[in-house]
Amino acid sequence: MIAAVISGYVGTVVLGYSLVLGGMALFALRVLRRGRVLARQLPDEDKPWT
Amino acid sequence: MTAGTTTRPGTGTRGSRILGVLALAGLAWLVIFGFLLSPADEVQGDSVRLMYVHVPSAWLAYLSFGVTAFCSLMYLWKRTRSLAWDRVAGCSAEIGLLFTGLALVTGMTWGQVTRGHVWDWGDARLVTTALLFLLFVGYVALRRLPAAPNVRAKRAAVAGIIAFLDVPLVHQSVEWFRTLHQSPTILRKDLNPQIDGVMLFSVFVGVVAFTLVYVWLLVHRNRVAMMEAQLEAGGLEQALAERRGEPVGTAAVGS
Amino acid sequence: MLRAALLVAGKDLRIEWRSKVGIVQVLPFAMAVLVLFAFALDGNRSTLRDVTPGLAWIAMLLSLLLGVQRAFGPETADGALDALRLSGLEPSGVFLGKAAALAAQLLALGMLLGIGVALFYGPDAPGVGGWVVLVTTVVVATTGLAAVGTLYGALSAGIRVRDTLLPILVLPVVMPVLIAATRAVEASLGIGAELTDAWPWVGLLAVFTLAYTALGLLAFGPLLEET
Repeated sequence: MIAAVISGYVGTVVLGYSLVLGGMALFALRVLRRGRVLARQLPDEDKPWT
Repeated sequence: MTAGTTTRPGTGTRGSRILGVLALAGLAWLVIFGFLLSPADEVQGDSVRLMYVHVPSAWLAYLSFGVTAFCSLMYLWKRTRSLAWDRVAGCSAEIGLLFTGLALVTGMTWGQVTRGHVWDWGDARLVTTALLFLLFVGYVALRRLPAAPNVRAKRAAVAGIIAFLDVPLVHQSVEWFRTLHQSPTILRKDLNPQIDGVMLFSVFVGVVAFTLVYVWLLVHRNRVAMMEAQLEAGGLEQALAERRGEPVGTAAVGS
Repeated sequence: MLRAALLVAGKDLRIEWRSKVGIVQVLPFAMAVLVLFAFALDGNRSTLRDVTPGLAWIAMLLSLLLGVQRAFGPETADGALDALRLSGLEPSGVFLGKAAALAAQLLALGMLLGIGVALFYGPDAPGVGGWVVLVTTVVVATTGLAAVGTLYGALSAGIRVRDTLLPILVLPVVMPVLIAATRAVEASLGIGAELTDAWPWVGLLAVFTLAYTALGLLAFGPLLEET
């Protein structure tokens, strides 16, 4: 582990992965939340997937 | 018959939930490979691990915009004209912007690590990605303008094709800009062609995982878009109904 | 198709000739841009000389935006893209005509801009080969710009926020033109490049122009459609 830190940049790599996963998660949450809000306003027949 | 009845209203179905789980598994797999199972590069050290998210992000960006362009063509072609194509085109472009942004961020992070500064105009890939982002930001902005659905769809379709057509042109011009331009000192470290088998596999894992994420996001974003379209149509109907239902004595607003 | 093109081009150019907006507004704008750059770069003659091609093309791009708004201004004011449609003229011909008119105006602007650049920034005069490259580059690039501009102009007709939207739509798309045209002109003037370096760039410009001209010919049908 120490060797990994010394060979450098592990922290930055962790940052990179976090940004990627975090970005996807944020987008996903926004879409899902909007989905829930809109689904409440529409009757089930209007939604082809229910 | 339950095709996945939801106790809570939303855009989820059993199919999409399975897909979601698969996507998460893929991402976990990627993290494992990226951090543990793949070796550090001799030259670049651990920073090469960023490639396992950077390259897939870029790939998916191109895929997303390709889908947008394809759907745009399908919409414009009279025989297959349907607002569904337009809807998917828009959703795919938004997700494409997400992936483009991720590609940019990871590319800049990688740049910071390998060359000491975040941005480099000599880095053809980075610059091309930035232009790709700008290209489709305009497209998404255009889509947000209020208009009749078919007018909006037609505009967007043509704009989408214009934008996608530009991608190879941008790519080529930036590539030549880097190599034919004066600077002899090319600090950009290319992904080593003699790439370790495990590294290549990690990139592959990344692509698979991100593709699953893309499809999952597309499904949900598309369902949201369907509902938005319904509400828009419904809102219009309601406004018309209210107009018609107005009692005679009320001052009628001239249309 | 050609007949339609000539009709439309003639109409647009006549409107321009009578109103003289190009001379009175767009040209001074382009000149002002040149002056702005000179001030921003501290009037440093050697710096200006080196960046002359780039700055000139930026001025052209900004003028393109104005030109496009102008080209579709008269049409959209009365919502009269309809007029073009109802005229029964072939859409591809309409595209060709409008693009040609726009290209002609841009070329004229480009020539005057070239004189302005020569005066203000003082680049060295090109040799014979340089002139060939220069003229070819300007013609091909300008035609490509006009094609893209005409496409987006029709696309954005009737949008109220068109003037703020047009830049973010057009500018990213024409980046390859900026890159290629600048490099080609640099080569023609001998600024940091050999003359022979220009030809790949001119080739790229040609591909760009052909691609967007083709797209314009095909897409104008749907764009002018009723629905």
